[in-house]
Amino acid sequence: MKKLLDLRFVIGGFFTLVGIFLSVYYILGPKDTTVNTQVNIWCGLLFLLFGIGMVILSYVSKINEE
Amino acid sequence: MKLELIDYLVIAVYFLFVVTIGYVLKKKIKTGNDFLMSNRSIPLWITSLAFISANLGAQEVLGMAANGVKYGLYTVHFYWLGAALAMIFLGVFMMPFYYGSKARSVPEYLALRYDEKTRGFNAVTFAVMTVFSSGISLYALAMLLNIILGWDFNVSVFLAAGIVLIYTFLGGLTSAVYNEVLQFFLIVLGIAPLVIIGMDKAGGWQGILQHVEDAKMHIWKGMGSASTNPMGVDAFSLVFGLGFVLAFGYWCTDFLVVQRAMISRNLNEAQRTPIIASMPKILMPAVVIMPGIILLALQGQFSGFDLPVNANGDTDYNMALPTLLAKLYPNGILGVGITALIASFMSGMAGNVTAFNTVFTFDIYQSYIKKNASEKHYLYVGKASTIAGILISIATAYIARSFNSIMDLLQLVFSFVNAPLFATFFLGMFWKKTTANGAFYGLLSGTAAAALTHGLTTAEGKGGWITNLHTFYSGTSQAFNIAWIAFVVCFIVTFLISLVTRPKAEKDLVGLVYSLTPKQKDMAKVWYKNPLVLGLIILGVTLALNIFFY
Repeated sequence: MKKLLDLRFVIGGFFTLVGIFLSVYYILGPKDTTVNTQVNIWCGLLFLLFGIGMVILSYVSKINEE
Repeated sequence: MKLELIDYLVIAVYFLFVVTIGYVLKKKIKTGNDFLMSNRSIPLWITSLAFISANLGAQEVLGMAANGVKYGLYTVHFYWLGAALAMIFLGVFMMPFYYGSKARSVPEYLALRYDEKTRGFNAVTFAVMTVFSSGISLYALAMLLNIILGWDFNVSVFLAAGIVLIYTFLGGLTSAVYNEVLQFFLIVLGIAPLVIIGMDKAGGWQGILQHVEDAKMHIWKGMGSASTNPMGVDAFSLVFGLGFVLAFGYWCTDFLVVQRAMISRNLNEAQRTPIIASMPKILMPAVVIMPGIILLALQGQFSGFDLPVNANGDTDYNMALPTLLAKLYPNGILGVGITALIASFMSGMAGNVTAFNTVFTFDIYQSYIKKNASEKHYLYVGKASTIAGILISIATAYIARSFNSIMDLLQLVFSFVNAPLFATFFLGMFWKKTTANGAFYGLLSGTAAAALTHGLTTAEGKGGWITNLHTFYSGTSQAFNIAWIAFVVCFIVTFLISLVTRPKAEKDLVGLVYSLTPKQKDMAKVWYKNPLVLGLIILGVTLALNIFFY
């Protein structure tokens, strides 16, 4: 519960989850030829990376504080 | 535009996170100070991002894309001229007074510097203005969701208002600020891919230069006269009206944004908050204005990118961003884009409500209704005013739906009140002989001058309700000119009345006026902690951008 008070952890969690959704949707979802669906995988991976980075940052700063 | 399950999933996860933030923070709220002021305990990176996010509402996200279509690159003046300098000035010169005086709000600073009547005037107009702005934001969100997604107006109003109510009621200002930071990342990361995809489709920067008329691809060219640039403004009204009066009036005196700096952990961080916020701020045009310019380039190359017309038969420029989202985003990332739009509306609404409850509790209730009550009592009042603020916002959304012209009129009146305010603060902070009566009557005169100028001039068919002495090339030009005239009148009246009335004793002005406030001695120890050095760096970058895009 205490970790949820760390905003970096919350932001990281949100973007990790959305990144997973987009990546899975790209792999399993329909391939619409009228629009560029590849943007889902690129954004999914970017969000995932950003999200994991924020979560790691929240743990690293905690260790530094201790 | 049709959303699929994946899009709804992203929206649902976002709603879940914002409500959870409020719920988790609820445990930290014990007093009115925790609820309304975050107990001055928020780290610098959060206050800085919240500072620009409080301004990153729907007017910014939709409005700046719309301005991008109308005015092209000239729109960046709202950032590089109309924000950066004012934010630096706030951090370097004004924050020591706001933070150092221990005032809990901007109206409270006015009470300390001047008197209760000036505070009362500012507190009441600000409180009314914020809840109406919140309601207008809610109305705009519901209308947008109705038009682009077919969602029911009532469901959109109550869903958005309900979620904002939950997280602001539970976690107070801290919750609003935390959500603003989440919303900032969501808006930037949700819209930035649209810019990249759009630029790619338009043929990159070269493609944009080829397909957008040259007149819209500069920022200073043609500013010698209002008739030779798409904004319809001249350099004087742009620099003095927007760059000085409107920008400084908004960024330096509007409690909605200043509040985010005032909850910093110490004075140095409070000073650096607006300056650090100005770094992403000067880059924001890439996310909020570029979509409008990209749309122009795409309109010149492809069909299907035309903007719809509104009920009056005029081009609906506010649909620029939704049009690009619908055309370029597939389902999945479309959900992120729509969530970013919803986030911008909710961010604006929560910012207004949290500023309203603070000003109502401290500057109206505690000052005029019940002094010296317990902290717990003010916590209840803060929470009750949060509910009241949301309810008034909902009522306003419905009024706006039925009587759109009343809302236009209210916004106009608010702009008259705001225009001269910076003169009151500027004189109060830098001239110790400014008196309370001078400030109060200066404010009233400036407001009257703004209304009078609007009544005597027209632009795009608006104004001129007394008679028409002058016609401006655009509404933007009229707004800039009204602002500087109101400022000058307020400045002169305040100055003249102050000369013939008795100022406060100098001992009562320590910490409130520049010349009577001890200067900080540890300013230059480390460059990245020095507000002045940081400010100069930002100024240098802003100047370079202005030259590059001349």
